[in-house]
Amino acid sequence: MTTLIQLEILRTLRNKRYLMFTVLYPALLYVFFISAYSGGSVAGGIPAKSYFMVSMATFGAVGAVLTGSAQRISLERKSGWVRQLRLTALPGRAYTLGKIASCAVTTLPAILVVFAIGGIEGVELSAAQWLGLGAALWLGSFVFAALGVALGYAAQPDSVQPIVMIVYMLMALFGGTWFPVGDSLKKFARFNPVYQYNQLASFTRPGQSVDTAAIAGLAGFLVLFVAAAAYLYRKDTKQA
Amino acid sequence: MSTRVNEGGEVAAFRNVSKSYGRVKAVNGLDLVLRPGETVALLGPNGAGKSSSLDLLLGLREPDQGSVSLFGGTPRAAIEAGRVGAMLQSGGLMGDVKVRELVKFACAIHPRAHRVEDVLRSAGIAEIADRKADKLSGGQEQRVRFALAIAGANDLIVLDEPTTGMDVTVRRQFWATMRAQADAGRTVLFATHYLEEADSIADRVLVLHKGRLIADGTSAEIKAKAGGRRITFELHSSDGVVDEAALRALPGTVSLDVTGHAEGLRTVRIRSMDADAGVAALYKAGFYPHGLEVTSLGLEQAFLTITGEADDEDRGAEGSEGSATENRDAEERAL
Repeated sequence: MTTLIQLEILRTLRNKRYLMFTVLYPALLYVFFISAYSGGSVAGGIPAKSYFMVSMATFGAVGAVLTGSAQRISLERKSGWVRQLRLTALPGRAYTLGKIASCAVTTLPAILVVFAIGGIEGVELSAAQWLGLGAALWLGSFVFAALGVALGYAAQPDSVQPIVMIVYMLMALFGGTWFPVGDSLKKFARFNPVYQYNQLASFTRPGQSVDTAAIAGLAGFLVLFVAAAAYLYRKDTKQA
Repeated sequence: MSTRVNEGGEVAAFRNVSKSYGRVKAVNGLDLVLRPGETVALLGPNGAGKSSSLDLLLGLREPDQGSVSLFGGTPRAAIEAGRVGAMLQSGGLMGDVKVRELVKFACAIHPRAHRVEDVLRSAGIAEIADRKADKLSGGQEQRVRFALAIAGANDLIVLDEPTTGMDVTVRRQFWATMRAQADAGRTVLFATHYLEEADSIADRVLVLHKGRLIADGTSAEIKAKAGGRRITFELHSSDGVVDEAALRALPGTVSLDVTGHAEGLRTVRIRSMDADAGVAALYKAGFYPHGLEVTSLGLEQAFLTITGEADDEDRGAEGSEGSATENRDAEERAL
């Protein structure tokens, strides 16, 4: 199983589209936001460079896992690679676990590149805060990996790309990726995993502590997405 | 000798297996045993249930009825023990990965793996080992998938239309490799559309039609079952009147077909179970045949005849037997 995971990671890092979309694109957007706000703050008084460092890291991480799992799984179900793997001694769950594991590795560059730019631009955090934030964002990305697996088993290859894009963009739009969620929308934002994901960074802000509601919310989404993915995986196995 | 049901005598067994998709019966009451060392061809028109049968054999699908066993256990257990290698029709390859990496992966997960270089060589893909697996021609891709199927010391190799997309040279190389596998004592089961492959490679031929096994034997037996050989000749009216009843009465005649092209010229085609006796009787009866040819019925014609007969049986009482025979002969002529 480790050989499959190695291979999955290798091919993802080799894929230029992956690097463009999930590493370079959020990094460029981040640089753009910093200059657009020219040292100012977003609504709520958080410095733009701190706010967008988190939201662009999560944007890249969610993009990495959704495309890495949903699109690949859907395409490989269609192409017959999934069937091919079922004719090997690998246990059935190895394929899905391999996808999630490679997603988990590939979100790191997306997070670290944006962090590096933030550091250069003068985002000031203690060492513990940098580590804690990195770990929180990395762990949070597993929720979206599970969502990606579920979407990959639910959608056909010709429709998976638009479905992933719509889900991704709607979650980003109302999750605080481009601008902070206004008070009127906050009661709905609870139902948006990307909003909860961005909230994980609250402990780095002065006068705020760890957002336990966000952690609980993400845990709930994780359970939901894993259950959906497991159900859809079993259904697919019977049909293949 | 009593029937051998011990593991040594039985590679795979279907016992009264049926599988439906919606209202379509893809496999219908299949009973079949494969024995060690056999090279078996699975023939059938499109939709005959070949791929479905292979899916059931490999445990990719569960039968609605009956049971499938591989080496005395479940298909999954046999695959996990590394005893089965398979190459299916739709076996896409991983993208962004080199051929060598893919083969290395297949060897790494095989419980009885061969060496990577050996697998590359036997599958004939050593020279494309550094190419990306998703940037290959159809025939090359097919050989890579074959490499994945022979990454270890399997006892059974299952191939679903393995030579589709290969050109003639590559196809010949492929079968040479396959024969080497069979010579090493492996059991090989392959589905194919190319009947000459079944004829020249398999020592046992199975014909599936509408989910049922309608013939099982050597290629020669299948041909004999379809009505051995064909006698073709011309009769000129100057040599006398053509008496169809007398032609039909020739020994061994299975079917008769008389056509007239030009004035006073008749072409006669007889399918015969005993062509030698038929020809002798033809002269004895006073006929003077021109351009007489006796040809063996190819496996392709035998195949069409057998599946055609199965269709006639399905049609049952409706339509006379005579018209069905004419249809069948018309199919043969079309070849």
